[in-house]
Amino acid sequence: MAERTLDCLGEACPIPLVKAQKAMDEMAVGDVLIVNIDHSCAMKNLPDWARSAGHNVEIEEVGEGEWDIIIEKAK
Amino acid sequence: MIMEKKIEYYDVVVIGGGPAGMTAALYAGRARLKTLLIEKSLIGGMATYTSEIENYPGFPDPIDGIALMKLFDKQFRRFGVDVKLTDVRSVSIECNAKVVSTFRCDYHAKAVVVSTGNKPRLTGGKNEEKFLNDKGISFCATCDAARNTDKRVMIIGSGDAAIEEGMFLSKFAREVIVSVIHDEGIMDANKVAQEKAMANHRMTFMWNTVVDSFEGDEMLKRVVLKNVKTGEMVPVDVDGCFLFIGYVPNTKIFEGFLDMTNRGYIKTNEDMETNQEGVYAVGDCREKTLRQVATAVGDGAIAGFIAEKYVEEIEYVQKEIFEAKGLVMAFVYNAVDGVDREYLSRVEQIQREYRDKVQLRRIDVYKSDRIACRLSYTATPSLIFMKEGVVLENITDLSNLDKKVAEVIAARG
Repeated sequence: MAERTLDCLGEACPIPLVKAQKAMDEMAVGDVLIVNIDHSCAMKNLPDWARSAGHNVEIEEVGEGEWDIIIEKAK
Repeated sequence: MIMEKKIEYYDVVVIGGGPAGMTAALYAGRARLKTLLIEKSLIGGMATYTSEIENYPGFPDPIDGIALMKLFDKQFRRFGVDVKLTDVRSVSIECNAKVVSTFRCDYHAKAVVVSTGNKPRLTGGKNEEKFLNDKGISFCATCDAARNTDKRVMIIGSGDAAIEEGMFLSKFAREVIVSVIHDEGIMDANKVAQEKAMANHRMTFMWNTVVDSFEGDEMLKRVVLKNVKTGEMVPVDVDGCFLFIGYVPNTKIFEGFLDMTNRGYIKTNEDMETNQEGVYAVGDCREKTLRQVATAVGDGAIAGFIAEKYVEEIEYVQKEIFEAKGLVMAFVYNAVDGVDREYLSRVEQIQREYRDKVQLRRIDVYKSDRIACRLSYTATPSLIFMKEGVVLENITDLSNLDKKVAEVIAARG
């Protein structure tokens, strides 16, 4: 079960989403991707996309306006 | 990897962190209830998709939706509310506890507030799915305005959101084309917005049109509109397309559990109570006339307050009746009924004689008979005897009361 972190701090939409989609393609089922973000727009599209793709998603609030989106590849 | 599911206990779990949910959590937290708010993505919900809110009282100057929601966020967290950012998979009732399940955890709650809100409705046009998720179709002008600087964008819809967000976009985009289903000059938006939009030289309108299809390669390049009067197809080259054609409720996981309208909105009474005891619905997911931040806040306040009363009530019943030591007699009565009140003094008198053998609990059904219902009462006035959480006798004929009480105490005391 590999874990990979993607630093998207300072990056606006759609960059975090595009990077996360690319990273997920390269990962195996059960692997976990952690995406660091600080643009609220990515909070709207990234978790939604990952859930609609069937993955398990949880979000940690790292600080005010900063989040870690944790995606477990489920298929 | 199958992880053991965690179980955590709360008084109140609020599902959804928009203005309605945050207000319910604020009231519950302030009432010192152990409260959890679960939000699947960004705290603030659909309000964070609004560039300017100018009708929320207390803010005389228009305020950005995200900024207003940050203030809500800061306020409810002051009252010790826990927050989890994850999505709820199901809600069920197991042995009097409501179980709210997420991917990793089952939260057991005494009361649940459903504030799952709305999501934008899609057009149903061909290839729509292909261009969602940042491929050209957007629902959020504030999120995507900057990247449409000097671009040509299309808006679908003519309600408040469509016209107001269209005007916001026109500060960035060089051209904003609005597809309106109605005849020329007719829009659903408020009059002020309509007037401003008609005078905005960057906005143009295509009347009597709906989306037929979305076209492009990786990204959206063209929207093909259909004239609903003539059937004519009109391809329009655009850099982005924003859908503002209304909303659908996020209530799918409650199907079969909560009563809903045929459009999926949860039915409640004016106390926000659903058909499930201790489960409340507030905000945009609830069947109501006006869905605004201002009305969401009212719903949330009511649900927070009613949930507090409910939790108090079940704690009272649990502690004072079901877990009480020895024999308990519960007198169920209606305080506004004169006959009931006479029986109450009679019962109190009798209990004084047997004060070492039986405890008295007075249960007034005037405002609500929910506590009495837990004891399976059938009438007022009535006297229900209980021991170790079990109903032993339910006496509804209160003639010869002294004798009956004496008999029960002799047999069961």
